[in-house]
Amino acid sequence: MLLCLPGASADPLTPQVQVITHPSVQVDALSQAQLRSIYLMRQVVWPDGVAIRVFTLAPRSAANLQFCRDQLQLFPYQLERVWQKLTYSGTGTPPTELQDQQAMLQAIAATPGAIGYIGKQDETQGVKVIPIKP
Amino acid sequence: MKLRVLKSFQLSLSSGLLALCGVFSASAADSWHWHGFVAQGLIQADQSNFVNDDGDISTDLTELGLNGSYKLSPGWRLSGQVMYLDGGNRYATGWRIDYLFLNWTAVNSLDWQLNLYAGRFKNMHWLYSSTRDVALTRPMIVLPQSVYFDAFRDIAVGSDGLALQSTNSTTLGELEFIWSYGATPINREISQRVIATQIQGDTKQKFVHQATVFFRPADSQTQWGISLLDSDFSYRRAPVDMFFDGDFTVQRVMANWRYSAELWELSSELVQERVHARGFYLPVFERNQFAQGAFLLGSYNWSDSTRLYASYDWYTANKDDRGGALLSLQSGGLIPRYFGYQRDWGLGVTQDLAKQLRLKLEYHWITGTGRLGPNVVPAIEINRSRHHDLWAVQLMYWF
Repeated sequence: MLLCLPGASADPLTPQVQVITHPSVQVDALSQAQLRSIYLMRQVVWPDGVAIRVFTLAPRSAANLQFCRDQLQLFPYQLERVWQKLTYSGTGTPPTELQDQQAMLQAIAATPGAIGYIGKQDETQGVKVIPIKP
Repeated sequence: MKLRVLKSFQLSLSSGLLALCGVFSASAADSWHWHGFVAQGLIQADQSNFVNDDGDISTDLTELGLNGSYKLSPGWRLSGQVMYLDGGNRYATGWRIDYLFLNWTAVNSLDWQLNLYAGRFKNMHWLYSSTRDVALTRPMIVLPQSVYFDAFRDIAVGSDGLALQSTNSTTLGELEFIWSYGATPINREISQRVIATQIQGDTKQKFVHQATVFFRPADSQTQWGISLLDSDFSYRRAPVDMFFDGDFTVQRVMANWRYSAELWELSSELVQERVHARGFYLPVFERNQFAQGAFLLGSYNWSDSTRLYASYDWYTANKDDRGGALLSLQSGGLIPRYFGYQRDWGLGVTQDLAKQLRLKLEYHWITGTGRLGPNVVPAIEINRSRHHDLWAVQLMYWF
């Protein structure tokens, strides 16, 4: 169940995490720029008007490092800076941080409009996997 | 005094928590977010009036704030922050409403977001302007004064008016446009810090109009920005006053840049500021002067919890008088040449002690007094040294 990150044998060009959403989210794929907009907390609703609930793992966790580098092409400290800027200037709110990937899977499955990420080899029962286009 | 303020902050937090628990249901709590920060430090600038007039070690390095935002509907949000600041001579001491605005998200598609703000909002146009008072978001305890002149902080930090922010995601990269129009109320204390300690009349900012473009190219770790500012001020003398009625136009052209690597980061901002003064010194006085400034700030992540940083900040009050000779000449030798410029080397370290607890320590080697307040009639009786160092240590907590 637990993700092996960063794996010594993993292909460095293949993302080691996958993006997941609540099954009711009416989006089948996202571009990297669109995913970045969501995680920079600029994009706050899905195209059908449902509010996006963004979940993340601890900034220094291996999964988060992989997600930021591979899927967002950002470093965790850049994301944190943007979230803090939004939080303390009143122009946005930060995402919800979860303890581990098990908690992530449960939160995404239980929250309409939710988006998050887990390891590529992890179970995805109860959630929807969203391909990310470069 | 500090203890009283901190206790009152603690009480506010407790009552805020109780109010949250009692008033809001679980679903309403999803729409409600609140956060805060508190930072206290020690600072000394022993040969300048930057912090105080006597140069002693000071606790005048206090920043605390509590903010909340409430989602009224999917497209509407109300946000506000109250803040207490004590920076000694640097800016006005006391409580203030830092921001309070209504945010309308007019467009929120996957590739384009457009937000409109009405009320009191923060200056979003420079790299660090929107959260310059929030210690945890600031790259340094004392920001480069060429751009973030503390004596002018209360005027530049935000505006009462309207603002717009648009972000487009394209295959070429991300394009952000910010526009704002408004004004800031200026009280006597702010005037004294900016213009002259002897000021008696009324200073008014008629308007400030700003526009900024940021571009973040795709597949790149750089960000580029350009920003324009236009603002008019008026001064109306008191019945007994050593100054005359006057009008000032301030215009800024700025460029900024940032490069982010995994372990290190560089950022820079350049500014040229035109100040057109009419009257004030004498009824028929007129002067058009261009100041210039730039800083380079670098940081290195030594470990997960330790960050080292260094900066160089350069400022000249008159691009045609970089050494301050003309300034001294025009004042009949009363104002030393070193009031015409300022150079600042800074070095610091940030240590994360816990997840939301951070300690910062920094030292500045400064030459020139061109960025010490007041700006219009400088404090020549206190700032008698061309070289003046500054050190500060600050502990900060946030939630």
